[in-house]
Amino acid sequence: MWSYTLRRVLLTLPTLLIVVTVCYLLLHATPGGPFDGERKVSAEVLANLQAKYHLGEPLWKQYLLYLDGLLHGDLGASFRYADWSVNELVLRALPVSLAIGGVSMALAIVIGVLLGVAAALRRNSIADYALMLVSNAGNAFPSFVIGPVLILVFAIALKWLPAGGWNDFDPRYMALPVALLVMINVATVGRVTRASLIEVMNTPYIRTARAKGLAMHTIVLRHALKPTLIPVVSVIGPLAIQSITAAVVTESVFSLPGIGKLIVNGAANRDYTLVLGLVVLVTVVAVLLNLLVDLAYAWLDPKIRY
Amino acid sequence: MKSASLSATLEKAVAGRSPWQDARARFLRNKAAVVSLALLAIITLACIAGPWLLPNQFDSADWNAMSVPPTFAHWHLFGTDETGRDLFVRCLIGGRVSLMIGALATLTSVTLGIVWGAVAGFIGGRVDNAMMRFVDMMYAIPYLLIAILMVTLLGREFYLVVLTITVFSWMDMARVVRGQTLAIRSKEYVEAARAIGVPTRRIIVRHVVPNLLGIVAIYTTVTVPGVILTESVLSFLGLGVQEPMTSWGVLIQDGVGVMESAPWILLFPAALLSITLYCINFVGDGLRDALDPKDR
Amino acid sequence: MKSFAALMPFKRTALPVASMTLALGALSLPAVAAIVPQGVTLAVKQELVRNNGSEVETLDPALVESVGAANLGRDLFEGLTVTNGDGAVEPGAAEKWEQKDPTTWIFHLRKNARWSNGQNVTASDFVYGCQRFIDPKMASPYGNVFGPFLLNGAEIVAGKKPASALGVRAIDALTLEVRTAGPVPFLPELMSNPNLGPVHRATVEKYGRDWTKPGNLVSNGPFQLKDWQVNSKLVLAKNPNYWDKEHVQLTQVTYLPVEDENTDVKLFQSGDNDMTYQMPTGSYAKYRQQFPNDTRNSLILGTRYYSFNNRDPLLKDVRVRKALSMVIDRDLLAQRVTADGQTPMYGLMPKGVSGADVSNYEWASWPMDKRVAEAKKLLEQAGVKPGTKLRFAMNTSDYNKKMAIFAASEWKTKLGLATDIESMEFKVLLKKRHDGDYQIARNGWVADYNDATTFLQLVECKSTQNDNFNCNPKADALIAQASETTDQTKRKQLLTDAAKLVMDDYPLLPLLQYGLPRLVKSYVGGYSLKNPMDHYGSKDLYIVKH
Repeated sequence: MWSYTLRRVLLTLPTLLIVVTVCYLLLHATPGGPFDGERKVSAEVLANLQAKYHLGEPLWKQYLLYLDGLLHGDLGASFRYADWSVNELVLRALPVSLAIGGVSMALAIVIGVLLGVAAALRRNSIADYALMLVSNAGNAFPSFVIGPVLILVFAIALKWLPAGGWNDFDPRYMALPVALLVMINVATVGRVTRASLIEVMNTPYIRTARAKGLAMHTIVLRHALKPTLIPVVSVIGPLAIQSITAAVVTESVFSLPGIGKLIVNGAANRDYTLVLGLVVLVTVVAVLLNLLVDLAYAWLDPKIRY
Repeated sequence: MKSASLSATLEKAVAGRSPWQDARARFLRNKAAVVSLALLAIITLACIAGPWLLPNQFDSADWNAMSVPPTFAHWHLFGTDETGRDLFVRCLIGGRVSLMIGALATLTSVTLGIVWGAVAGFIGGRVDNAMMRFVDMMYAIPYLLIAILMVTLLGREFYLVVLTITVFSWMDMARVVRGQTLAIRSKEYVEAARAIGVPTRRIIVRHVVPNLLGIVAIYTTVTVPGVILTESVLSFLGLGVQEPMTSWGVLIQDGVGVMESAPWILLFPAALLSITLYCINFVGDGLRDALDPKDR
Repeated sequence: MKSFAALMPFKRTALPVASMTLALGALSLPAVAAIVPQGVTLAVKQELVRNNGSEVETLDPALVESVGAANLGRDLFEGLTVTNGDGAVEPGAAEKWEQKDPTTWIFHLRKNARWSNGQNVTASDFVYGCQRFIDPKMASPYGNVFGPFLLNGAEIVAGKKPASALGVRAIDALTLEVRTAGPVPFLPELMSNPNLGPVHRATVEKYGRDWTKPGNLVSNGPFQLKDWQVNSKLVLAKNPNYWDKEHVQLTQVTYLPVEDENTDVKLFQSGDNDMTYQMPTGSYAKYRQQFPNDTRNSLILGTRYYSFNNRDPLLKDVRVRKALSMVIDRDLLAQRVTADGQTPMYGLMPKGVSGADVSNYEWASWPMDKRVAEAKKLLEQAGVKPGTKLRFAMNTSDYNKKMAIFAASEWKTKLGLATDIESMEFKVLLKKRHDGDYQIARNGWVADYNDATTFLQLVECKSTQNDNFNCNPKADALIAQASETTDQTKRKQLLTDAAKLVMDDYPLLPLLQYGLPRLVKSYVGGYSLKNPMDHYGSKDLYIVKH
């Protein structure tokens, strides 16, 4: 297990290298550059800008310069935000996204599993349909509709919470964005849990346990839960990655200084270094989360071996 | 005589039912799924036939009738949008686009995801590692860049929308299927089958696939809303539907902006989308229940 | 999800009404910041939260480019002059100035102008600031906008002369001499720009790129930098060493970087925001009804127009361009389609710009039927048949979309021409426009300074801002002539004639004059509705008791 983990961690480096290279090429291939503005800069100023940011040099040279900085932990200077280095920007945005994404995932897992289990045990009854109706709400309405509705109700009508912004992990500012993400994630977790539990309840050994007369909660908790959670855990991986690194709509609607918005704005501004720096971050997050998920498989199903 | 009719009756009694007939019967017993399927059929039919039957055109702007609330006058049953175009017709036309792209893009991403995940999960080892690391990489690349690049390099054809959406949507299914395949592969009956030398292909077809159907059915219905909404993001970049053509995603985006002053512009397309998605969810659940091999 | 489509050009609007800038011997007017009218009671807490439209690209005054960064530039720094809420020029760090000859100005700094760290503001601070700004190594995007006005500026930007050759010289600690390349009647306004303002040399040399961070930044304006959390908020506190601090009412200003207009309004509604950046498309009528006391709207010096690619085979013929321009009902566009207080434009110059008169096309006053008939005739003469397709490019935004749908329907119903509307991401559109890879494209321009020449740039032959690729050498000659004249009346006539001459070529399709509606809480005082460049310095604002 440990050697497996170590191998996976070491594999991060070549993965990173490939991703950075691909993104680097993508960025430079996309039309429009960081200094294309509504006001067209004169040829002289453009030349000055190219010189300042090494943009006039051949691509491979810029690439090597970048890699060199990367190896020293320096992600470079942002093209668009002249006063900040990419390291500073990324390090300020990461905790916000981790907090919001992390808390919502934790809550979504708990609530989703509970809803799914409850629905599965009352299969095809009114309760089942009702629970699934509630759980699926996050999947049936686009997030850019749910978000503003939440704001209208809780921030404007009831004035219980602020309508957006970030205040150093102040829970009042985290409540609504977390709620939105939880709604979205619960939809998937709930349905997968329900489907999975139904399947597991029909397996021979569970049937035996029922025939033996074991109490339902013992059956579920002690025997059924672990195998049920395997597909759930598969699903949690992508959801967690999404919630932490790609929560663009949430960050935009609630005005949060997170990574999702930073990447999208960076790409729109063709801020090469910022985007690459964020890509590095996202790759590391994706690799780590997927590794955790894979390790969880092994824990949930002792027969899974790497 | 008696024996003939008796044997005939006996034959009828033991005429086996194929698993598919079983599945269909189980599906039909799921009330929510049946109702949902009917609703989906109605909506699809309305989207296809509706625009031909209604008097209003989806692209005729009427500057004297901007943002009119729902009324029976002029058949503006859903009201009009900000440029005076009939919302009812636009919802139906938009539905054509969303349903079609939804179906096609889901089909392609799901197929790609299943194949990728199943191969990785089943073969395991180094191949699994490499394939899954590729998936990790795909998660890291910002989709905005890819989308812009694809629009620029390849143009705005319809099939490109489907292609672009697929590029972003197949990874989740791949990971999910791979996880499930890993679990199935380590089950005793699969080990037994391998031990006695059942060819790999047979194992896949008879053991792996049926056990995957459940999670695939579920996750497919999870993919659909993502696909439909990604389409609206892409149209923002100029890929996909362009004015005056529209889709539910685009209609909803337009509606969010005027949510408080002209709520019907958001309400109707959002309602149509959510009803469709709910129905797809219930049908997906129903399918999963129906296709579960252990549900005897 | 539409949060990153830049609707407003990233343009800085720099200067106010030019009517009295010829100051040959400007009076030593006591510059006033927030003048609180008689009878108005101020609130105890004088703190303002305002939205800046996006995260600013920098606080370094030499590199300031966007509207948002300029807002901060004016709050943190003070140039030789300032512009007040109504757009008039007033003394800033300089208490008086005079013009020695057509190209030489002398500015006298006030003795009590200080930096936020207590040190005096001296003329050499201005020399350092200007030279640093113009230095090609700085690569300031506004280098070639303001540079050419100053002596040797254009050559320095092009790298042909060193920065020290700039025509800004310190005669003594409190006297600054500014020499211009040609006669620049609006120079005092030009010097109110943060780009051309003072910079504290010791701070820059000590901290390098980090000199603009909170704790390091030294500023000479009404406010100083208290806190800066990127993408979250930027907080300014009143500068205790500002020479006019008695008239600055606000003790704290928080700038938000919210891009999404709907989010902006939601924050306003919940009380977390006192002043929005703009208003969402199509919401003007609704918010005017919902928040009648909070809706403020005024016209500014800007124009919305469509660029014609004058080199395109279909649009090469001036008759085609004229026809397309004639049939658009701009009254309907302004009153019904955009419906947010903007006014129709039938020429190049917006109302209120100094240096040229507004001149409209003669057909602007014709009834629409007559215009359509004439346009149809023109198309026939040009050989364009109904059913021909037009290609229209725009960046995705609700606003642009609505206008485009309107234009397309006008061209269809009145001329029988079909339009392919292509929407694309902003930078892609910019590239297409600059490369001439389009047929008709959505465009807009807001003045950099209050003079007609900023708009003439759009249609001059070799100008980098000319996306239409048109050229009228006679008009260019008139403009060149005007840049040499010292007679203001003659100059105005020349520029007006030049504008009219060029517009008769129909190089572009003028549509509307920019209005800037926004939501400002009724308890925010000092918000002038006569501000032509959208320069709302926080020192003019105050909170009324509520």
